[in-house]
Amino acid sequence: MRVPRNLEVWKMGTVSYLDALKLQEKLVSDRKANKISDTLLSLQHLPTYTLGKRRTDHNLLIPESALKYIGAELHYTQRGGDITFHGPRQAILYPIISLRDIGLGARNYVEKLELTMIRLASLYGVKANAGQKGETGVWVREKKIGAIGVRISSGITSHGLAFNIDPNLEYFKHIVPCGIADKEVTSLRREVDLVLPDDEVIHEQLISCFVRLFGFSNVISKENPPILLDDAKRE
Amino acid sequence: MALRMWASSTSNALRISVSSKAHLSPAFSLSRCFSILDGLKYASSHEWVKHEGSVATIGITDHAQDHLGEVVFVELPEKGGSISKGGSFGAVESVKATSDINSPISGEVVEVNSKLSESPGMINSSPYEEGWMIKVKPTNPSELESLMGPKEYTKFCEEEDASH
Repeated sequence: MRVPRNLEVWKMGTVSYLDALKLQEKLVSDRKANKISDTLLSLQHLPTYTLGKRRTDHNLLIPESALKYIGAELHYTQRGGDITFHGPRQAILYPIISLRDIGLGARNYVEKLELTMIRLASLYGVKANAGQKGETGVWVREKKIGAIGVRISSGITSHGLAFNIDPNLEYFKHIVPCGIADKEVTSLRREVDLVLPDDEVIHEQLISCFVRLFGFSNVISKENPPILLDDAKRE
Repeated sequence: MALRMWASSTSNALRISVSSKAHLSPAFSLSRCFSILDGLKYASSHEWVKHEGSVATIGITDHAQDHLGEVVFVELPEKGGSISKGGSFGAVESVKATSDINSPISGEVVEVNSKLSESPGMINSSPYEEGWMIKVKPTNPSELESLMGPKEYTKFCEEEDASH
């Protein structure tokens, strides 16, 4: 008895973290009230460090006042997970979906997000895997290529995943990424020899992997939706 | 405080589904059976309530803790705060996901399980006993009537798990 499932995909380019946060709050509220279908935001951020609900700011290794000198912001959020970095050339997906409609709990949802990134990596011949117990995320050998941090409110998800296409990995030196010391980060660029296609292509592939894994049968795409485009949008 | 385990634990040993409504679910409708206790009331968001006299104890069910994964952090309200039915009173974090916990009833928080800040995993290992979260003085005891009993909750879980 499979009901066709709709997904609306918003391709947003570069969005400021706060704008994306406000948008997600609105979408979560609308989704809870059944005003909208499941929605997926596909975007990237300007250099931003974010902390989760546990506020593990001891994992930020430079003073907050110094962030402006490296062109980065810091935001505290209600998502799970530790400190992380978002920046240009890192593909982000924020699914706003109802887990109850598909009978998924947090654990299965996060596993599927990991698999989404693992499948994307495999398109480029990169063998990635989910972390060991307690190390949610996607790894290539001992290096982290994809991060996850999620919020679930009355069964509706927000925040999501971040996959490193080719972000400036230097930014990760200023944090203990995801609170796990002695583990490095990597990117798709570092793991493949061939020339990568445009980021837009990779974002599309990431969306495709998500759609297939989560079994959405009907996908509506919204390019440059008329909401909160960052002035500093980069190509 | 002898709580009788529901038939699901027996059926777990026998590996049969507790549901008699076979037409709603395929042969293996549950990936595993969860313990569902008699004497408790259940919300569709997988919290349980134990009403004893003027106090109601609230926590999350075995089904909920399994679907969450290992709980590493718990956020609970202050004593004296008020909560309303369906509203969020706290959150748990597991597998890098924070999940809101919703209250099945309205009331005043009279006690909070402070042991959970050091040992959040008790929610996984003992969801109905050591993993209790808050105790509440219900302001509207009739709200308990609209919650599910053990049989209804069992069926609810099966249907939810079968839908993906």
